[in-house]
Amino acid sequence: MKILKVVTGVVGNDIHVVANRLIDISLQSRGFEVFNLGVNTYLEEFIDAVIETDAKVLLISSLNGEAEGWCRELHKYKNHDKLKDVVFVIGGNLSVGEADVTKLIPQYKEYGFDLVFHQVDLMDGLEEIEQYVKKRFKL
Amino acid sequence: MSLLQRDRELIVANEFVKEFDFEETKEFVKNASKNLFTSHKFRTNPTKTLVQPRGGFPTYDKMFALYGEFQKVGVDIFPMTIDSNTRLNDYAHAQKMLKLSEDENTDLLNGYPLINHGYKKTRKMITHFDTPISLRHGTPDARLLVDMAIASGAFEIEGGPITYILPYSKNFPQDKAFLYWKHVERVTAEYSKLNEPINRESFGPLTATLVPPVITIVIQIAEMLLSLEEGVKSFSVSFAQTGSLNQDLVMGKVIRKSAKKYAEQIGCGDATINLVYHQWMGAFPRDKHKSDTLIDMGAMIAGMVGANKIITKTRAEAFGIPTKEENGQAVKNVKYILETLRGIPNFVDEEEEENLTRQVDEVFEAIFNDKADTLWRKIFNSIKNGIIDVPFSPHIINNNELITVRDDASNIRIYKKGKLPISEKSFKYEQSKLNLGANPNSVVNQIIKDIGVML
Repeated sequence: MKILKVVTGVVGNDIHVVANRLIDISLQSRGFEVFNLGVNTYLEEFIDAVIETDAKVLLISSLNGEAEGWCRELHKYKNHDKLKDVVFVIGGNLSVGEADVTKLIPQYKEYGFDLVFHQVDLMDGLEEIEQYVKKRFKL
Repeated sequence: MSLLQRDRELIVANEFVKEFDFEETKEFVKNASKNLFTSHKFRTNPTKTLVQPRGGFPTYDKMFALYGEFQKVGVDIFPMTIDSNTRLNDYAHAQKMLKLSEDENTDLLNGYPLINHGYKKTRKMITHFDTPISLRHGTPDARLLVDMAIASGAFEIEGGPITYILPYSKNFPQDKAFLYWKHVERVTAEYSKLNEPINRESFGPLTATLVPPVITIVIQIAEMLLSLEEGVKSFSVSFAQTGSLNQDLVMGKVIRKSAKKYAEQIGCGDATINLVYHQWMGAFPRDKHKSDTLIDMGAMIAGMVGANKIITKTRAEAFGIPTKEENGQAVKNVKYILETLRGIPNFVDEEEEENLTRQVDEVFEAIFNDKADTLWRKIFNSIKNGIIDVPFSPHIINNNELITVRDDASNIRIYKKGKLPISEKSFKYEQSKLNLGANPNSVVNQIIKDIGVML
C-alpha cells in the first residue's frame, strides 16, 4: 500500500498540545506518514508544508475556537497545482462559545474544507478521516 | 566592574524601570528580616510541610488584600505570580493593562506586573507582611525580573532554563534560555552571600501530562546542578502528584537521594536541598466537591512524602483564577490535614526505588558522556537529540518519541522509549507492568483515559 502523507497542526495562537500529539500518534498507527507542525501554526505555514512534502491530507485542528478567523481564506490557496488533489480537514472546537452545528459545518465547507468536525470524539473523527481518504484515493 | 555587574546595569537601563539602586538593594538584602527568607523557614522547620498557595493580581491593592487573606489563614510562604506579558518581557502591554485594571477596578492581567509596580513600592508590601515570598512566573529571560524581585524582598525564585521553556513555549531558543538563566543563578548566588541564602526552586510538574518519573527527576537534578555550579546554596527540587500513591512515595525517596548524590558529585554537597510537592496539576473535576477531595488527597500525600513544602490548588481550578476566599479555604483544609496526619507508616518499595534510581543514573550517564565542554551544553545537546524527552511539550526542540501510559495501578510507565537511554533491563521492567493488547489505537484510547484520570 502506498503510504499517504498528512500535514497536521494547531492553527493560530493556540498552544493546546495534547490532542495534537494524540492525533500524531494515532495517524501514525493508522499507517500515515505524519508531518506535525505542532501548536501556534499559521495557515500559510500549513500550505507551504503540504506543497513541500507532497502531502495528500491537511488536517488542521483548533481548541481555543479561533480557527474561523485563521482559515476563512483557505479557498484562495486551493487553486495551486499541488493542492488540487489534497483533502482538507478541520476539527476541534470550531467556535468561540456555543454554536449552531447546522450552520457551522456548511460555513467551513464553504471556506474550502472537505471534512469538518466540531466537538466530535477524537477517535471517531480520525476513523472517519481514514475511511474517507481510503475511498478517495482507492487504497 | 565585573562583567556580570555591567550586564545588570545594562538590563536595568530599561524605559519601564523607574529606578534601580544596586548599592541600596545590597544594603536592604544584608539587613533584611530573617522571616523573609524561605531558606531560613525551611531550616527552622525541618520536619514541617510548609504551605504555599498560588496567586497574583494586577493591582497593588488587590495583591495587598490577597496577602491579608493569606496571613489570616496562616499561609507559610506567599506566592507572587507574575502576569503573562511580563513573562514575555512585554512591559508596555503590562503597563497599559495595569492602568486599565486600576482605573476600571477589574483584573486585566493574570498576575502581578512587578516591573511596572517597581521594587520600592513592592518592597513596602513585602516587608509589611514579613513572610517569605516565592516568585512564580514562567519567564525565559528573567534577568530583569529576578533583580527586581530580590530588590523587592522576594527571596525565593522559581523556574529554570528547561522547566520554563519545554512546557510553555513553541520556539523560544533553548540555548538562549540556558544563558539567561545562568545570569539569574549568578545574581542569586551574589545576593545569597549577604544574609540567608536566596532559595531557587525548579518547576517539576512540566507539562503535567503523563510525564514519567525518570524525566521529572532528571530535569529537576539537571536544573539544580546548573544552579549549584554557579554558587546557589539553597535549592528546591519538586514534582507533582502523579495519580499513583505508590509512584509519589517512590519518587519522593528517589529524588531526594539522587539529588544529594549528584550535588556531591559536582562538589556542591554543602548546599541545602529541599523537596516541594505540587498538588494534582492535571485536568481538575468541574464538581467542586470532588475538587475539594482531590486537594485533601494531595495534602495527605505531601505529608506522607515528607515534602518540605506543598503548593496548593483550589476548588476553582477547572474554572479560572480563584478568589482570595477560595484560596484561603483550600489552605485551611490542607493545613488541617497536615497538622492532624499522624502515624505515617514507613513505606518501602525496594523494587520500584531501585528501578527508578537506575533509570535516572542511566540517563545522567548519557548526559555526562556528551562531548560538549560545559554542563549546560551537555544538557542542551541531550534535549536536542532526545535523551531528554518531555511528553506533550509544545516546543519544536522536543523529540516527541517517548510515549507513556498508566498501568493497572495507575503508575505512569514507559510504553515507547524513543531515544531515552535506559537499559534493556529498565525498559523491560516498564513493559512488564503494561498490558495493552494488539490494536495500536488502544494506546491512544488509553492515553485519553489516563489524562482524565481525576475527572
